[in-house]
Amino acid sequence: MRHRLLVSLVIAGTLLAINNLHAEEIKIGMLYPITGGGAIYGSPAQIGHRMGVEEINLDGGLLGLQAISVERDTKLNPATAAAAAKEMITKDGVHVLIGGLSSSVGLAVSEVARQEKVIYIATIAKTIQMTTNKRHNYVFRTASHTDFEGDAMAQIAEKLNAKSICDIQLDYAYGHDLAAGIEKGLARHLPDTKIVLSLRPKLRATDYNVFITQIMGAGCDVVTGGLWGPHFVDFAKQATPFGLFQQIKFIAGGEIGSHEIASTMGRDYPDNVWANSYELWYHHPNEEHKKFHSKLSAQLGTHETTMWPVLAVIGVRMYAAAVKQAGSLDPDLVAEALRGMSIDTPVGPRTIDPTTHQTDTGQFWGPMVKKEGAPYRVMDPITYIPALLSE
Amino acid sequence: MEPFLEFIRENLGSPGLAILISNPQFAFIQLLNSISMGMNYFIIAAGLSLIFGVLKVINFAHGAFYMFGAYITYSVTELMGLSFFWAVLAAAIGLMLMALIIERCLFQFIYDKEHLMQLLLTFALVLILGDLAKIIWGTDQYSVAYPAGLAGATNLGITFYPSYRLMLCVLGPAIFIALWLFIERTRWGRITKAATQDRDMLSALGINVPVIYTIVFLIGSALAGMGGALASPFNSPAPGMDANIIVECFVIVIIGGLGSLWGTFVGALIFGLVFNFGSVIVPNAQDVFAFLLLLIVLLIRPWGLYGRAESEGQ
Repeated sequence: MRHRLLVSLVIAGTLLAINNLHAEEIKIGMLYPITGGGAIYGSPAQIGHRMGVEEINLDGGLLGLQAISVERDTKLNPATAAAAAKEMITKDGVHVLIGGLSSSVGLAVSEVARQEKVIYIATIAKTIQMTTNKRHNYVFRTASHTDFEGDAMAQIAEKLNAKSICDIQLDYAYGHDLAAGIEKGLARHLPDTKIVLSLRPKLRATDYNVFITQIMGAGCDVVTGGLWGPHFVDFAKQATPFGLFQQIKFIAGGEIGSHEIASTMGRDYPDNVWANSYELWYHHPNEEHKKFHSKLSAQLGTHETTMWPVLAVIGVRMYAAAVKQAGSLDPDLVAEALRGMSIDTPVGPRTIDPTTHQTDTGQFWGPMVKKEGAPYRVMDPITYIPALLSE
Repeated sequence: MEPFLEFIRENLGSPGLAILISNPQFAFIQLLNSISMGMNYFIIAAGLSLIFGVLKVINFAHGAFYMFGAYITYSVTELMGLSFFWAVLAAAIGLMLMALIIERCLFQFIYDKEHLMQLLLTFALVLILGDLAKIIWGTDQYSVAYPAGLAGATNLGITFYPSYRLMLCVLGPAIFIALWLFIERTRWGRITKAATQDRDMLSALGINVPVIYTIVFLIGSALAGMGGALASPFNSPAPGMDANIIVECFVIVIIGGLGSLWGTFVGALIFGLVFNFGSVIVPNAQDVFAFLLLLIVLLIRPWGLYGRAESEGQ
């Protein structure tokens, strides 16, 4: 009997020791799609997340504790992401959730963060709802949002002297919110210009011919679109034989100016496209970007690097700065510190609005052109369109 | 006419319908869009239907075979520098080899098992093949160039239309005729047809049924690979592209009748027409019409337009 009691005590003591050991680490939860279709973006973001965690540890940790990355695959599915977020909080004991690709995933994770009172920093999801009608105490966003992006698109439409616009957006939260953002932007910058056609192909659509031919029949001189990633690649490849890009200028949101799209399309990248990107490996807005690019380049083994890691790094860095300022891991204190928090990043300074919890993240915009010596189309000239000062 | 069109634009919120009524050229383009889309789906769905017709296996992994076809095309054209048509052939052969391994190692053990078991196995295959593709080609998306001579548009007299899509409008029916001739006019085809109706009787007549099954699985998979190869110039090979296509293929074979070649051909054409004209009329509800049609077929004729009811088959 006494022997059994001793064994039980030893086991209990060991478990307690293990538990204490884990409590001595800061667990930075990561939620990106790392398998399936979303892995194209989630895998590079995962690299950025790890770079961010490594940065914390190289800096001596946070509050004297080492940071570890706890990672889950969202599979680009809101239900999977919500379940993973819940598990990370309840089983793994993460201190923060960072990530979320796609607006529907971001909203799902945000809801879990609200219920569980854990900080969530959205690094990629852009839907305006997250920082307006669905904002709560624990959600913060370091990505841009659909009103900022829509306003930038309207500014470009003004520059291109657009008379009538066809708008094509994917049929889910991001697409609908971006369409609303463009309308608000047009009211500010081009009040006399009308949207004559609004199209909503479904997410993961494969055949765009019916939309392309409607655009060409609608008589618009500019198209605005938020067809991100493979959606734009497929749309452009299907629209090129119809001659769409020779007749109509295309303002493409959804980071169509990024390395991943430009390099994927190579010689198939169409003319007359104005596009955006959070980061461009060939454009150094500050000294830190040069260092960041060489580090990322070494890690990826390629000179040309993808845009997604910087978004993940910014998310982790923002949390680390808030923990340092709060001097605590308590979510309420960290949330308080995040309101109004400013940090330097490889793409310029970033500040979180204390009221909306939205970071002032603008984007680089410009026409995508062929350039001597460039491996594929590049943005030139590059213009940084800052986030709106007031929403 | 103009006040009527204005009424449609403003009150029905359908500028596309107004263009459709007023512009015959636009209507003709939508017809071509419907046929080319339908024929692309037909090539993929024909394999799915053929496999179900003979093997009675609902192969969820068919979309993954399609994805592999697209990736192989990328490797052959962009990395090895061979022509697109060699790549289509390579995709078909590659998928046949892959199907041979899968059929011999897995499928042959589940033919007599219940459908749930078969579904679980093919679903597991979807996940395995998805990760295998990621290991081989990574998580990047790729672009496959249109084949030389088919990158532009062809002048049809009343309109220009993308040459590659026109090629699909011709290739789809050609593949349909070839498959029909094989099934109806050759000994192997007749044996295959017999296998869809009474495999025990066929076995009693001394026919090696497992070999028939293997051949059918290989042909069905080659069609999926070929479909992926032919789609790759306008659907960039990327992780997850299998999931984008498989639902549409199932809708087509259910409308047409599982296991029926004619049904798949007609189902694909109907799907293309309903999707394209539906998208023009109600731009933001493009899937509604196709799924409504599916619902009607399931309610009125659950075995599909060209399928046979269980009692008819016995």
